[in-house]
Amino acid sequence: MQLEKFYYDNRIVKNFTYATILWGCVGMLAGLWIALQLVFPSLNITQYGSFGRLRPLHTNAVIFAFVGNGIFMGVYYSLQRLCKARMFSDTLSRIHFWGWQLIIVAAAITLPLGLTSGKEYAELEWPIDIAITIIWVIFGWNMFGTIIKRREKHLYVAIWFYIATFVTVAVLHLVNSFELPVTLFKSYSWYSGVQDALVQWWYGHNAVAFFLTTPYLGLMYYFLPKAANRPVYSYKLSIIHFWALIFLYIWAGPHHLLYTALPNWAQSLGVVFSLMLIFPSWGGMINGLLTLRGAWDRVRDDVILKFMVVAITAYGMATFEGPMLSLKTVSAISHYTDWIVAHVHVGALGWNGMLTFGIIYWLIPRIFKTELYSKKLANQHFWLGTLGIIFYAVPMYWAGFTQSAMWKQFTDAGQLKYTFLETVTYMKPFYAMRSLGGSLYLIGALIMVYNIIKTVKKGSLVADEAAEAAPLLKDYTPHATEHWHRKIERKPVQLMVFSIIVILIGGAVEMIPTFLIKSNVPTISSVKPYTPLELEGRDIYVREGCYVCHSQMIRPFRSETERYGEYSKAGEFVYDHPFQWGSKRTGPDLAREGTGNLKKSDSWHFRHFRDPASMSEGSIMPAYPALLENDLNISNTKAKIKAMRTLGVPYAKDYENYALQELVTQSKSISINLKIDGIQVSPKKEVIALIAYMQRLGKDISLNNQK
Amino acid sequence: MFKFIKQYAETINHVNIYPMISLAIFLLFFIVLLVFVKKISKDKIEELSNIPFEDDLLNKTKL
Repeated sequence: MQLEKFYYDNRIVKNFTYATILWGCVGMLAGLWIALQLVFPSLNITQYGSFGRLRPLHTNAVIFAFVGNGIFMGVYYSLQRLCKARMFSDTLSRIHFWGWQLIIVAAAITLPLGLTSGKEYAELEWPIDIAITIIWVIFGWNMFGTIIKRREKHLYVAIWFYIATFVTVAVLHLVNSFELPVTLFKSYSWYSGVQDALVQWWYGHNAVAFFLTTPYLGLMYYFLPKAANRPVYSYKLSIIHFWALIFLYIWAGPHHLLYTALPNWAQSLGVVFSLMLIFPSWGGMINGLLTLRGAWDRVRDDVILKFMVVAITAYGMATFEGPMLSLKTVSAISHYTDWIVAHVHVGALGWNGMLTFGIIYWLIPRIFKTELYSKKLANQHFWLGTLGIIFYAVPMYWAGFTQSAMWKQFTDAGQLKYTFLETVTYMKPFYAMRSLGGSLYLIGALIMVYNIIKTVKKGSLVADEAAEAAPLLKDYTPHATEHWHRKIERKPVQLMVFSIIVILIGGAVEMIPTFLIKSNVPTISSVKPYTPLELEGRDIYVREGCYVCHSQMIRPFRSETERYGEYSKAGEFVYDHPFQWGSKRTGPDLAREGTGNLKKSDSWHFRHFRDPASMSEGSIMPAYPALLENDLNISNTKAKIKAMRTLGVPYAKDYENYALQELVTQSKSISINLKIDGIQVSPKKEVIALIAYMQRLGKDISLNNQK
Repeated sequence: MFKFIKQYAETINHVNIYPMISLAIFLLFFIVLLVFVKKISKDKIEELSNIPFEDDLLNKTKL
């Protein structure tokens, strides 16, 4: 048969590789910086550089910029070769590349400006959400175009993982980003309270699954056999791995919400499926490690294989830990603590980071037709990276266990042994050690930068790599006894449709009842919508990223009800667009901050925002002097009230017309309170609105002795 | 929004059966998957798992 000559596009692979390296360093640097902020709160420089705004920058940079570009780097390299075809369209490749980088830049600008939707790992505001959708579709178009014009009949398992990634991320992004724009850069989540929480953690968990895991498993199934120069251990296992993983993963989201106000049946569902997840995950890990059977001696010398072995081992550890953490008894201890931070970093630094580095060291010399500049430096990078992970994870695990034990400890007299602040100051040495681990990891990455620059200078890019392959016969007639799976794997569109069905089953079973059945969110008659000033204050709370360190969800444990008051009920959050339950308690829970023993005076809050350490000695919370300086922007209050009404918040008809009047009255009363305590401040300042919100927290339910 | 569907879904009395249904769906899915994977021939599996290396072979013959 006549062979066709064609060229692989290596330039786009090079671009994505450079972007991966650049954003990786930026993301890690941001991580190191915010780690240091927890040790030295004075590093919270200006309101644009405070922890609450930079932490989303770190997570977004690492997930979507570093790993995102890493995915595209690997996909653009491997897809062309697995399909024996050049990418479908160079123009689409270019739009995809530059579009994605623009989105990252937009994120890097808007997040420090406090433009956020307040939902973890989905913080970007609606115009950027739309841009993400467009660019993602372009990526899919380019990918499917390539698959359709391929010269290889079968779709290798890596491509299935890419397809599942594409469709699932699209579904997740669309469903979770349902929001009502108020202004160009402000929107409210379409969902509220419990429903918002369920959608968010369905998204959040599956962002881990389908952005950080499935595409990287695809990369593992391509690059590990290539680097080890032997086929994958068991192709059958990879088929089971794929279908079982994508089927199970989508159900596991509610394990982020154990003991919260989420209906119990949904929590149980999340736990069962999280536990089952261990099987496909470990199947994948074993498949990866056994690919090296008979080649373990090479792991000693080959630095690329070293990176990959650590990556797969980290994947195994994280996916063993994940199901364990989803057990209710373990979650009771681990949730809200630094244990979770340790867990995700084993995944991010170990699995994603180390696999990315391994691929980069393998790929760059190949597309530049040269040898790696220095194997010795790559080895040093490997050891710094591995030690960095250990120095990061061990102190954080330790911190997590300690934190949890201290939160739950009672004296013989039956009182809580430690104040929250005592547990915070106790954490500082662990936070310092963690920064050391992060620094080692970052130094390793910088050594890679040097090594790659030197390698690139040594070689020259083969922008269009020549290849030959026979064209695919169009009139292929399948064998009569053909296996069903082979039919699917030859047909990318069917594979995609089947993947969508598989992932939608889990999402639908969990979400539809929560949305449609009233008894899942019992209403509480005393829960009223926020006043205009409280609403504005809440928006400041979201803007400053307070949810990054403070939860608003009291679990039904004595250690929590003693500390924070009555446990949280689903009906309390019905007007919260978005929900602000949080996932981590670097600071205390705030769900009942305005009531009971926790209630503080307006002047306490004022002084605390000005300088937290002056009210709570040893506090690591950033100071917010800007809130005392800036006037509250009330030009959108009317629009916000209207938007809330559209979302179902029962504000009276025409309420927006006298909302501003009410806002002024309420702010004046707070400013008078402050004046009595000797603080002169204009009622127009932002801090007044935030104080109003703080004082509102938990009040609805304390007014009537609810049952 | 979903008023039409809502009417019906609200009448589901035993929403707790969902976890059981889900488990059943998965087990069925998984068993069917296992059976079919078991049935794929060895040669085919060999061919499929070698796809990543065909590229090298082609390039080698070309050189």
